[in-house]
Amino acid sequence: MNIFLKSKILKQLVATLMISFLVCVVTGPSGSPTAPASGFTGSFNNKSSFFGIFSAPRWTLFVFLGLLVYVSFRIKLKYSENVSSFTDKVLFIPRKISSNQSTRRVTIGALVVFSLILPKIVTDHFWQTVLVSQIAVYVLLALGLNVVTGFAGLLDLGFVAFYAVGAYATAWATGSLPLPALFGIHIDPFFAIPVAIGFAMIAGIILGIPTLRLRGDYLAIVTLGFGEIITLFANNLYGITGGALGSNQIPHFAINIGPVKYAWGLAPVPYYYLTLVFVVLFIIIFSSLEHSRVGRSWTAIREDEVAAESVGINPLKYKVMAFAIGAASAGFAGVITAAQSNFINPASFTLYVSINVLVLVIFGGMGSIAGVVFGAVFIQAVSMYLIHTPPSGYQSQDLYIYIGALLVVMMIFRPGGLIPAKRRGRSTVHAKVQVTEGS
Amino acid sequence: MENIFDVDDVTLRFAGIVSLSGVSMHQKRGEILAVIGPNGAGKTSLFNSLTGVYQPQEGQISFNRKGQDALSIIGKKPHKISTAGVARTFQASRMFNALTTFENVKIGAESHRGIGAVGAMFKGPATRRDEKISDETTWKLLNFVGLAEKANLISSSLSYGDRRRLEIARGLATNPEVLLLDEPAAGTNPSEKIELAELIRKVRDDMGVSILLIEHDMKLVMSLAERIYVLNFGSVIAEGTPAEIRANQAVIDAYLGTTSTDREK
Amino acid sequence: MFKLEFWALLVGGIGSGFIYAMIAIGYTMVYGVLRLINFAHSEIFMAGGFASFFLLKATIGSTTPTGIMSVLYIILGILGGGIVGALLAMTLERVAYRPLRNRNAPKLAYLISAIGASYFLFNMAGKEFGRYNLSMVSPYVNHTVFTIYGAPVQMYYIIIFIAALIMLVTLDQLVAKTKLGRSIRSVAQDSETASLMGVDIDKTIALTFILGGFMGGAAGFLFGLNVGVVYTMGFTPAIKAFTAAVLGGIGNLRGAVIGGLILGVVESFSVAFVNGAYIDVVAFGILVLVLLFRPTGILGERIGRAA
Repeated sequence: MNIFLKSKILKQLVATLMISFLVCVVTGPSGSPTAPASGFTGSFNNKSSFFGIFSAPRWTLFVFLGLLVYVSFRIKLKYSENVSSFTDKVLFIPRKISSNQSTRRVTIGALVVFSLILPKIVTDHFWQTVLVSQIAVYVLLALGLNVVTGFAGLLDLGFVAFYAVGAYATAWATGSLPLPALFGIHIDPFFAIPVAIGFAMIAGIILGIPTLRLRGDYLAIVTLGFGEIITLFANNLYGITGGALGSNQIPHFAINIGPVKYAWGLAPVPYYYLTLVFVVLFIIIFSSLEHSRVGRSWTAIREDEVAAESVGINPLKYKVMAFAIGAASAGFAGVITAAQSNFINPASFTLYVSINVLVLVIFGGMGSIAGVVFGAVFIQAVSMYLIHTPPSGYQSQDLYIYIGALLVVMMIFRPGGLIPAKRRGRSTVHAKVQVTEGS
Repeated sequence: MENIFDVDDVTLRFAGIVSLSGVSMHQKRGEILAVIGPNGAGKTSLFNSLTGVYQPQEGQISFNRKGQDALSIIGKKPHKISTAGVARTFQASRMFNALTTFENVKIGAESHRGIGAVGAMFKGPATRRDEKISDETTWKLLNFVGLAEKANLISSSLSYGDRRRLEIARGLATNPEVLLLDEPAAGTNPSEKIELAELIRKVRDDMGVSILLIEHDMKLVMSLAERIYVLNFGSVIAEGTPAEIRANQAVIDAYLGTTSTDREK
Repeated sequence: MFKLEFWALLVGGIGSGFIYAMIAIGYTMVYGVLRLINFAHSEIFMAGGFASFFLLKATIGSTTPTGIMSVLYIILGILGGGIVGALLAMTLERVAYRPLRNRNAPKLAYLISAIGASYFLFNMAGKEFGRYNLSMVSPYVNHTVFTIYGAPVQMYYIIIFIAALIMLVTLDQLVAKTKLGRSIRSVAQDSETASLMGVDIDKTIALTFILGGFMGGAAGFLFGLNVGVVYTMGFTPAIKAFTAAVLGGIGNLRGAVIGGLILGVVESFSVAFVNGAYIDVVAFGILVLVLLFRPTGILGERIGRAA
């Protein structure tokens, strides 16, 4: 009995230490091909300061932290049955807020007011730009992917394609691509918004119709391939898309109808407010969809496609609809990106972006609008912070090490995300409900 | 048309297995018809063929809707067949577990209405009217099957018997002409069986919906069904009234070896 | 038909086909027992490449070996790449998949976890080993061994043919004839019954990962011999290998080999018709066509259950 206890305790201790060593290496300095071990040796041996008091090799710091975590874990176990009860209570707060109508309205109101005055609080130019180009844009992307993956349960690994289509459509409509605009008419990016969204939705339908008959994991791979193909074409069709150089003449937004004249310039704040309006609009529309017959049909298809068919729901139609609607949000994000930075090229539309958006949705809460908005804001803000003030040894691509690890961790420990959707049941990532079939 | 279903010489094959072999049957409009047979006889395959889940390689299935042209079932997609007026339940109740009892039925009601995506997004007056109609239909049906008090429970929390009733309500919500019930009494106790039989009769009598059911519970079948088909090894081996079937030697032979607890003496 | 280009393309196609086949084995075996696409298999390929790179760099001196030393170094590279691949695959299964298996997670959860693991691994490789291409220290002198109708067959291709054939045949016999192989096949067909018959499911699954991982890692070495290693090397060959696995019939070991060879050759020949940049589209096109029109592939799903 004693020996068994020891071995389990020992195993957990070893596991904790291995994890802390892994974190040590991940957060440590980088290696190089000529000195491949230098990343590892540096991670362990570099001096780091313990709370500014004295300095010691990094590995001691991480062993110490690991032991600390382990010991507090064991102490916690002794005193409470469920170790994660505290975190559960914290994470349950959003659910409690949303279930009571008045607290929900107050919270939403507060958030709206907060987002309106945000540019007054955040005055640093870097952060104001980032607020639009990285945070607001990714909120839009996350909202779109949430419709596809969260509502309809379709894993789309090529979601960036719709983002790219929106951006390139904007460039085309404003005459900024080698391919001439329709009838040679250059329209302003503001009026290109419906054009771009339209193109993105069409792309969603075109991609969806052949592929949405496929099973979940095959669909994922095919959408991934499709995203890569789009990038490939964008990179190589020099005469149409400008090739690897892309387009750098996209004008800023400007409205010029009758008495209404407003031109966006280089300043990020006007873009922020425009985007905010659309974000709120999309949130309202998507939330309305979620609680409508369409949303119910998506849930039904996700839960049990055969049963859904038996009550007259056409799965292909609703899946394509999800693709098109999700693509619309991504397409609009493309417009913002194109018009704000005046410049797009294929390098901004890679698989990395699709995976990035996926992690926002998974982390925040698949199927939950509040969740994905939160996830997008949080993760993008953190990753921008890491770029703005990188800790020693941090390279910008290291972000994806953390994103990858986060995906694995979320899948294992909290697949519903931080703010899970209210309707879960047998969703894309939760445990299967055992359905026993007779003969 | 007198017959609501005309099944003509249907053969269904899977890799190496013949599930249905030259099956011919018909169901009269308004009839409570039962299909019985030992396990593996092909009963669920027949249901799946009638509802478009399986595509038989040979034969014809004709669904004769009231006041419309006959619909050839084979080759049609399941959701189209459902829209045409064929509803079904499943052997192991297939609920939309994440939805409430109410929502489960409502999905059935609204699937035959015209609310599109645009309507869903912008909740105009037409959409709201349609939603109201679906809601009313749903409440009516929940009352009809006796699940009104449990309307807001998550459907995964319902008992076996309640799930059966929910599936029936959901099927009825699609405004069908015929309701296919796949072993509705499986897993129910004797008093639940009586309630179930009453409910099934009510569905046919009050709503004019024809009933086609698969069952193993012989007592239930004999008391409920007006006509019975017996399947064994994918073929029809007998057809007739309950009295005729009870006396049929081929049927008795087919069932020899199965437990006799359900057999009516 | 007998022109030089034809044979040159054919040789090249078979060469890359064998590499695809070896990677495809990993996908198809894991799919056979778990019904899961091991998305992170691309990083196993990459890890094998890097492992053999460092191994050869550390052991081969300044002169390129010849003769019997070449053979030994090649075997060293294969073993190094294969063993590291196998170990990584085993760890992957333990860390990223088994917790999901224990709570009965649906298929897509594994895929997402696999993507996360893949991203973690290759970006770690980039961080630790640099982000540009590294040429492998060659364990042999590359020369033309013989020619077919004027098309040169280089030593490189001979090495691939021999090494791949040995490994593939060994694996095939292992799965078909040994007790280990039987346990894999039984779990692939019906894991519940297999466990009731005394097969240790966890061990069998681990073994499947190990075997597939060894093949993938060794493929990384063979691939790296030609074009070097870089932290992103896994992505494209792995997608193509997955296509090959599906083409041959996912879950079917021999199908993976056939699919790999067919894909390699078709790809090679499409250079004649398609602009070089779009070659990858060929593989993707094949994948979509197969999935839409014959998802069970050429040989059909054999290891696994019928559709």
